[in-house]
Amino acid sequence: MARAKAEQQPATTGMTLVVLVGLGILFLLFMAFLNVVKSGNLLTESNLLYSALIFYAGAGALYLGFGVTATESYVKFASLATWAGLLANTAAIGHRWYAAGHPPFASIYEMLLSFVWTLAALTLIAEKKFGVKVIGTVTMPVAIVGVVLMQLLPSDVHPLVPALQSTWLHVHVTLAMLAYAACALSFALAMMFLIKDNMKTETFLAATSLFSVISYAAILCTRFEKWGGLSVIGWDEPNKSEMFVSRGIRLFVVIPDLGWLLLLVLLAAAAPLVLYAYGQQTKDQSILPTANRAVFVSILMQVMALIAFLLRTRSGAYPSLDAQGLFPTSLKASPFILSALVGSIFVSLLYLLLLWRREDLEKLLPSAQDLDRITYKTICLAFPLLTLMIAAGAYWANRTWGSYWNWDPKETWAAITWLVYAGYLHMRVTRGWRGRRAAYFAILGFGVVMFTFFGVTYLLPGLHAYA
Amino acid sequence: MATKLIALLRKGWQTLGAIKTGVVLLITVVIVSAAGTLILQRPMTDPDEMSRAYSPQVLRLLDAVGLTNVFHAWWFVALLVLVSASIVAASVERFPNAWRYFSRPYRSTDESFRKALPGHKRIPIKDEESGLVAAERALHSLGFRPERVIGADRVALFAERNRVSEMAVYIVHASLLLIFLGGIVDGVWGWRGYISLERGQQVTQVPLKDGGTKALPFAIRCEGAGQENYKDGSPKRWWSKLAVMEGGREVQRKEIVVNDPLVYEGVRFYQSGYGSTGKVEQLLLTASSRENKGQLHDIALTMNTPVELDADTTVRLARFIPDYFVRDGEVYNRSERVENPAVQMFVESKKTGKSIEVWLPEIEGFAHNAESPYTFEAKDLQLGSFTGLQVSYEPGQWAVWAGCLLMGLGLATAFYLVHIRFWVVPVRDTHGQLMLWFGGTANKNREAFQHKFDAFAEKLEQELAKQSEVGSDACAQAHATTLAGD
Repeated sequence: MARAKAEQQPATTGMTLVVLVGLGILFLLFMAFLNVVKSGNLLTESNLLYSALIFYAGAGALYLGFGVTATESYVKFASLATWAGLLANTAAIGHRWYAAGHPPFASIYEMLLSFVWTLAALTLIAEKKFGVKVIGTVTMPVAIVGVVLMQLLPSDVHPLVPALQSTWLHVHVTLAMLAYAACALSFALAMMFLIKDNMKTETFLAATSLFSVISYAAILCTRFEKWGGLSVIGWDEPNKSEMFVSRGIRLFVVIPDLGWLLLLVLLAAAAPLVLYAYGQQTKDQSILPTANRAVFVSILMQVMALIAFLLRTRSGAYPSLDAQGLFPTSLKASPFILSALVGSIFVSLLYLLLLWRREDLEKLLPSAQDLDRITYKTICLAFPLLTLMIAAGAYWANRTWGSYWNWDPKETWAAITWLVYAGYLHMRVTRGWRGRRAAYFAILGFGVVMFTFFGVTYLLPGLHAYA
Repeated sequence: MATKLIALLRKGWQTLGAIKTGVVLLITVVIVSAAGTLILQRPMTDPDEMSRAYSPQVLRLLDAVGLTNVFHAWWFVALLVLVSASIVAASVERFPNAWRYFSRPYRSTDESFRKALPGHKRIPIKDEESGLVAAERALHSLGFRPERVIGADRVALFAERNRVSEMAVYIVHASLLLIFLGGIVDGVWGWRGYISLERGQQVTQVPLKDGGTKALPFAIRCEGAGQENYKDGSPKRWWSKLAVMEGGREVQRKEIVVNDPLVYEGVRFYQSGYGSTGKVEQLLLTASSRENKGQLHDIALTMNTPVELDADTTVRLARFIPDYFVRDGEVYNRSERVENPAVQMFVESKKTGKSIEVWLPEIEGFAHNAESPYTFEAKDLQLGSFTGLQVSYEPGQWAVWAGCLLMGLGLATAFYLVHIRFWVVPVRDTHGQLMLWFGGTANKNREAFQHKFDAFAEKLEQELAKQSEVGSDACAQAHATTLAGD
């Protein structure tokens, strides 16, 4: 039904979207300008970051518009917006570097700043050099999520503790950001390859639903409390920091009933997956439209969960299991739950794009063979960077703690990432793995990268406490 | 029997070198080390936390399987050794072939080779020499150094670039083994420990991380340590002045900070912590005499060293309690933090030999401050500080760094250096027409090579066209202009 409706709409031609996005950007910039006039500071870092966000968002919208309507001129404006965003992003990095007196690699906020920058730069390179024009459809949403996360993460310039005052640290983190951005690009390319390689749309249905299910399951496994609450970290607004019970142990507060809601959304997100699995089992294709409808329901539920989460964390005080009394929380205390919720919605929306506009999308992509080759090339770029990143990190650790390898979780997971990509290269070179299997491998590799980057920091304890 | 054994060994060796074995081993390493990061590990986590996180049965099971200390378990080390063995076997199996390929590049251009080579072309030429000269010039302009290969019946050209790229895989594997070797050397002969030194203290024994102590062939002495803070109070810099003493003589001295250790005979001393010892270094007091009102002394006391107040009276600092409390007629210390400090002093008279116990603050039931001829007021309390040093001996680390460098080079070679080869030879086609046959290959990035090949073909045609302009009978002259042109 939805599909039919979408197909009835004539493909938008002309400049409607460009004008709309342009107006949107102007409006937001104007609002920001009013703010600037009020505060009197023009070139502050948050202003720069905000304009970067606006431009990236505009670029993302235009790339999506390009993906949907195949209007060639959009992509020109999209890369123009990306350039503008990159410029603002560069200025933000420069400003921070100047303000902090050291390159911006000391906290996860600063690393995100560099990561987004590299991602935008690589997107432009992939577009100009390799002609993968729609790559921004995947990478720009990632960049937007990155900038939104940055708005939430604590951004104060902290002086460097003694262990971090080393050039090797900067080398290590620069290499990490470059490597991770290259991995992100290879992931996007592998996805494009799968689309171009005539992978069935319903397989994407299964994959995207699985992603949502995993996101929600991960949140619920770690945060679901008895009687349906969701525990989040308490936020100490006057000090702008997380609350602690004692040194190093965070104070969790329980938002009542939100756990049930998320559980409900988990079920809704699982529904398309279950329907798909049932269809595969019974070889019954007629169930797919129902599954697609279930995706709709799942997206609606996810948006609802997001809104509920936003509203409930922004106001109100909640009890804690560890301490007496009521405590406030804030979005800032749960950036990763938020990005899981937003990321899951994004992924589901990308599935809808694929469902409705697959043919147009395919027309715009280079051949499957080319995409496969470019994916391999990006990994050829990422792998030496990963290697050098690990080596520089080991050298730094040796200068700081007197030991180059401690088997702490971050190190171990960096090694696992390295091994996964080494596996990819071996299978490709000695076994001639091409196409699908190589693409799956590249996707798996990026999954491991994301876990190393975020998962390890927030789930596993270790020496990398500040990163 | 013996032949059977050899056959078995041979089979085992081949299995070890198979790519499948390698992949299975690597997947095992990945799974096991991932498990090691998800399950709390023994040496890092304290036992209480372990027992809080897991139920006793689960903990017993994990301990029995060895999953609570994955990275130091014998089977994990054995697994890494197996991986190394697999890399060695795989490399040794494939190396001779690659080495033959590398050390004796294929220069000949016989007919079967010409047919088998996918990328080749033919251009008609007038005579052999002019064709070869044109090809040489074209190759030179592309940055190659062609060599003439003189065969039985014809002269051919061969040019190549980056032959080392064929060996890149072995460089990378060798570097990985070098890193492992360094790790094993450190695992067997290396050690790590921690010492804390107060100013003026010197040690020759280092307590090790895994129990036991290590005797150093020299002594390390701390001549001062300190901390500098940022304005917000977070630490900016820790430093310690260290001296190495050998046979009572100072042989080396360095002020170390975090990230900049002192190295002596391979033993490294890293700044790792700084703190207060909870002991008094100096107590500054003002003493005023009860008899002569207004007569003030500023005195500095150190532990158990009497200080003269007048000709007859001395005062001695006897005890310092950082965090005192009183119970059942005793003064106790609650903690090592300076929360609620108290000092016990004795005011002694030489003449009478009488000793009066004075406490600051005046603790009731113990202090006899009223009997003392002097009253005291505390001005400043300077506590001793200690510096925490990580000590490590890692003789294998040079192999690790060399391995890292080599791996960087190896990977750069593997991914970015392309072995390109060109062959050029004059041949006659089926009609007897003299043709210049040329072909080329690259071991990776074939699309980019296609451009290079086309550029070569174009250049070659230009050169041949130039020659025909100069004149067909003036081959030697053409050659001369070539040289002049260069």
